[in-house]
This record gives sequence, structure tokens and C-alpha cells, in this order.
Amino acid sequence: MKYVCSVCGYVYDEEVEGVPFSELPDDWACPMCKAPKSLFFAEDSEKDDVKTEHIDVIDEDMTEIPPLVLSQIFSNLARGCEKQYKENESKLFTELSEYYRKASGNIENPSTTVIAEKLSEDLSSLYPTLRERSEMLKDRGALRVTVWGEKVTRMALSLVDRYEKEGSSFLDNTKIWVCSICGFIYIGDTPPAICPVCKVPDWKFECIEGGNV
Amino acid sequence: MKKFAVRNIRLCTKDCLCLYVCPTGATDTENSIIDIDKCTGCGDCAAACPSGAISLVPYDYPPQQKKSERVCSAVMNLAKNKAAEERTAENIASETDDKNLARLMKAVARSSRLVSEDLLREGGYMLPQSSISQDLLASLLENPSAFIPAENARKILESIKCNDRVEKGGKFRCSVCFHEFELEDGDEHICPMCHSSKDKLERL
Ligand code: SF4
Ligand code: SF4
Ligand SMILES: [Zn+2]
Ligand SMILES: [Zn+2]
Repeated sequence: MKYVCSVCGYVYDEEVEGVPFSELPDDWACPMCKAPKSLFFAEDSEKDDVKTEHIDVIDEDMTEIPPLVLSQIFSNLARGCEKQYKENESKLFTELSEYYRKASGNIENPSTTVIAEKLSEDLSSLYPTLRERSEMLKDRGALRVTVWGEKVTRMALSLVDRYEKEGSSFLDNTKIWVCSICGFIYIGDTPPAICPVCKVPDWKFECIEGGNV
Repeated sequence: MKKFAVRNIRLCTKDCLCLYVCPTGATDTENSIIDIDKCTGCGDCAAACPSGAISLVPYDYPPQQKKSERVCSAVMNLAKNKAAEERTAENIASETDDKNLARLMKAVARSSRLVSEDLLREGGYMLPQSSISQDLLASLLENPSAFIPAENARKILESIKCNDRVEKGGKFRCSVCFHEFELEDGDEHICPMCHSSKDKLERL
């Protein structure tokens, strides 16, 4: 039997490896992207068995954009201006982004459980809705952002889950990297040679500073 | 389409071929930035550069691929969740004494922001020139008491013009389907019949 990593596509072939997948230790991780065992699926099973309970989400009123989303729109447009070599406008958009970042309220009793719930909701209903619509409308760009986003979100959720189960010691003496293009989070002393999700080279990874490395 | 050359300083290996081929000396500058006043957009430098460090970029960007409202609203729902993830993670990172947790939360916040920016690009906010970006900026002008938003929006709107609406209305003919029609100031600049983009439309 073969098992496939749902983040990077790495294949674990029991025949080649000689060890049944089920007998691998719990802390075994994908050699390519470090995704945990739970993010692998058996090759002959339908991938969709990674259950997606699909509720059609009610469409929100588009006129009400919360401040932090405004901040994200503007930091994105700042990047867009940078790519167009419009430095001045990029700076103006960055200021707007920072303004709305500050204007955005804090979360009462922030906890990793809240984050895990949100990430799970992304995976169980919000991404499936976007996927369905992108496929129906043949919007390949929206489909791309769905494929990347689902993988990045799965990885983020598995890390938050791991923290909730065993605390933060698994991050002792190792670095945390984020791909500056797709947002993929990677734990390791050096970043992967190419991003397992969006395939950019290692120098596109940012090291998350602070802490006891 | 009128273009000019730009050099990616990070990729430039200073092989200097662009200096030899540029007919106007635009590539030879003290700060490595190609002089756009001299550049004619001929493209010879980009073709000669061994490092792929030079791109030709248009003065006017074409309109972004049209996005459906159904995609945009699904994107907005995700962006809202991603924003909540980002803020929650930031708050945890600034409150905790656990350095490892702080780093993990900073990573989650950064990741959520990057994912959301990418989503919003696919939800219509790809170009600052698109009407959806321009309308958002224009809405900030309505509240002049909030100084930064109004002032920055005004400056951006002054220098970046909308690329998918007609500035001045009038009669047009589509060169693809030959439909003749009228557009008013600020209408979407496409053929109402076959949806061809503005470069296919001629003003009558
Ligand atoms: S040819 Fe390319 S690598 Fe050489 S100096 Fe010009 S931009 Fe730089
Ligand atoms: S496009 Fe032509 S004119 Fe402009 S910098 Fe390159 S070689 Fe010189
Ligand atoms: Zn993997
Ligand atoms: Zn990536």
C-alpha cells in the first residue's frame, strides 16, 4: 500500500520502505515537508475521505469589510505597487495597511483553541465552497489559491494541534520558517530547498525571530 | 503597448551587457535604476541580459481578468476568518512568556496574512488600477476626519488611474463582434455584447 502526503505529494511506499505505515512512530513526519502522519491518506482511498462536511455558507454583505481585512487588502496592494515599481504608492498603501491594523480590535481571551477552530472551519466549509465555485466558473486563479491555501492551512492546523497536545517543547532548538509567497510554515534548522506547496526556492522563506533558538 | 525597462538589482550580476546594447544610455546610471526618461522601451537590454534581470513593464496595465461575485464573496468569507486567525495569534504572541509559543503564533499570524493577501488578489484586488480597488479608496475619502486614510487615498487616486472604466462616455464599436453601443462616464470599459476588453473597442 502507498500513502500520500496531502501537503507536498510525497509518496510513502510500504513495499519499498519495508515498514507498514501504521507501524511508523506517532512523531514520524513527512521527509519532504514535515507534515505529520495524520495528513497522509492511503493512495487507493479517495482523497476527499479527509472528511469535508460541506455546509453552503451564507454570503456576507460585501460592503462591510472588517478593519483587519482592509489592512490585508492594502498590504497586498502595497506589494502590487512594488511589483509595478511604484515605490511611492507602495509606501502609501503600507501606511493604510498599518492604520487599519492598529484600528482593529483585540481578541478577548485569545487561545490556540480559537485558532484551531477557525482553521478547521476554513478546511471544512469555506475552502470547499470556494473550490466548488472556482471549478464551476472555471476560474483557475481562484482554484490555485484554494489548492495552496488548503495545504498551508492543514499544516498550520497540525502545528497548533500538536502544541495543544504536547506543549511547545517540540520547537526547542529549532527554527520556524514561513514561505513569503504562499504562507507555508516549516519547522527545521534550514528552510526546505524548494517550498513544498508553491515551489519557490529557499531564499523566499522568512525566519520567524524571537525566542530561544 | 508602451513599455519601459526595469532592472531587478537582486538578480543583476553586473555583467554589463545591457550597457553595451542600450542605444540611449538609459541602463548606465549611478544608482543602478534604469532611467525611464531615456528608455525607449526597445527591449534590447532585456534580450541581452544573461541573468534575466531586466523586465519590460507597461505604462498602462490591462484590466484584470473579470471576477465573479460568487468567487469574491467566498474569498471575503475566508479572508475574514484568516484575519481572525491572524489577530488571535498576534495577541497570544504578545501575551505569552513561552518563547516557543510566541514564535509559533507569529508564524501563524504571518502565514494567515500571506494566505489572505493571496486570496484577496483572486477576489479582485490584484491591481491598484482595478475599479474594485479604486472604489474602496474612494470610499475612504468620505471620512476626511480620519486623516491617514483620506489623505493617502487621495494621493494614490491622483497617481494611479482606473484601467477598467471609461473616463469619458460616448459611442463605441467593438472590433470583435462589430456591435455599436454607448457608454457613460465611469461605465465598465468592455463590449456589452461579447465582453471583449477595452483594447478591442474603438471610439466613434
Ligand atoms: S546585463 Fe543584466 S546582469 Fe548585466 S549589468 Fe545589465 S542588468 Fe545587470
Ligand atoms: S529598453 Fe532599450 S532604451 Fe530602454 S533601457 Fe533597455 S536597451 Fe535602453
Ligand atoms: Zn509532505
Ligand atoms: Zn511557498
